[in-house]
Amino acid sequence: MTATPPEWAEALVRLVLDRDRADSVSGDLLEEYRATIHPARGQSRADRWYVTQTVGYVVRSAGFWAAIFGGAFVARTALDWLAPTDDFHVRSAVSTSLGVGTLMVAGLWAGWRSSRFAAGTVAGIATAGFGAVVSIVGAAALLAVAHDPGTMAAIRGSGGLAEVFTLPFMLLLPGAIAGTIGGVAGAAVRRALSPGSPSPTIAP
Amino acid sequence: MADILGAFEQAVLLAIVRLGEDAYGRAVLKEVQVRLDRDVAAGAVHATRDRVENKGLVASRLGSGTPIRSGRPRRFYRVRPRGFRALNETRAAVESLWRGLEWPLGESS
Repeated sequence: MTATPPEWAEALVRLVLDRDRADSVSGDLLEEYRATIHPARGQSRADRWYVTQTVGYVVRSAGFWAAIFGGAFVARTALDWLAPTDDFHVRSAVSTSLGVGTLMVAGLWAGWRSSRFAAGTVAGIATAGFGAVVSIVGAAALLAVAHDPGTMAAIRGSGGLAEVFTLPFMLLLPGAIAGTIGGVAGAAVRRALSPGSPSPTIAP
Repeated sequence: MADILGAFEQAVLLAIVRLGEDAYGRAVLKEVQVRLDRDVAAGAVHATRDRVENKGLVASRLGSGTPIRSGRPRRFYRVRPRGFRALNETRAAVESLWRGLEWPLGESS
């Protein structure tokens, strides 16, 4: 019987690749899996290897956008803690626009690359998820540096620590939605400008 | 002065040079792993191949697939003249940095 990696991982890796590279790169992974990894490690460890490779591709595809998304969160947190205000409307409007805009552009870029709108969904979720990690690490570092009574009062006044450490992870769903919207646009533009359907999935 | 290549870019380009006509994606990955003597993520090599291709240092073409790949095509790479130039200039720059120093460092001091 021919060894086959997890179907969902194969589909995911193809989604984050450029349309013109999806077949050759996923073919390289499949060949390595079947020729080297599976015979040496067995099914479950080979599957784990494949999933690890897939995660690496997803991280690389969303890393840039996640850095911007998480960086914006950290910047907003620093502003609220170090330059407190009573009126958060302007800050909220700017940071929300920047966050949603980043998620949509990440989706647009991913949809353009793969010609598939679902790539935008993946990009939105990955950007929000990895961005959340960046944000939490950044906020923790900020807290380690600035935790005097004045800063702690500013933290309480801007929503408290719980909000800083939980809000980023609540943005996975909005990330999926904004990414999908961007992905639909990106895939549509790519297909309109360079016709030719995305490479089909070839059965094992 | 041309860009000085990073260590990983050199590893990928030199793997393509060594493999010659057989330089396709997985072969390049294996060659890089052997030369660096460590496990390297496929995505890292893929990203570097893309980057050096976008810089105009390598060119690629699609070739036939094989049954073990479920028929998916292989992408073959070759180093372009600009890539050879970048490799040569990188090596010259590194040799210039080391000139006059005994190797390995720290053993005679």
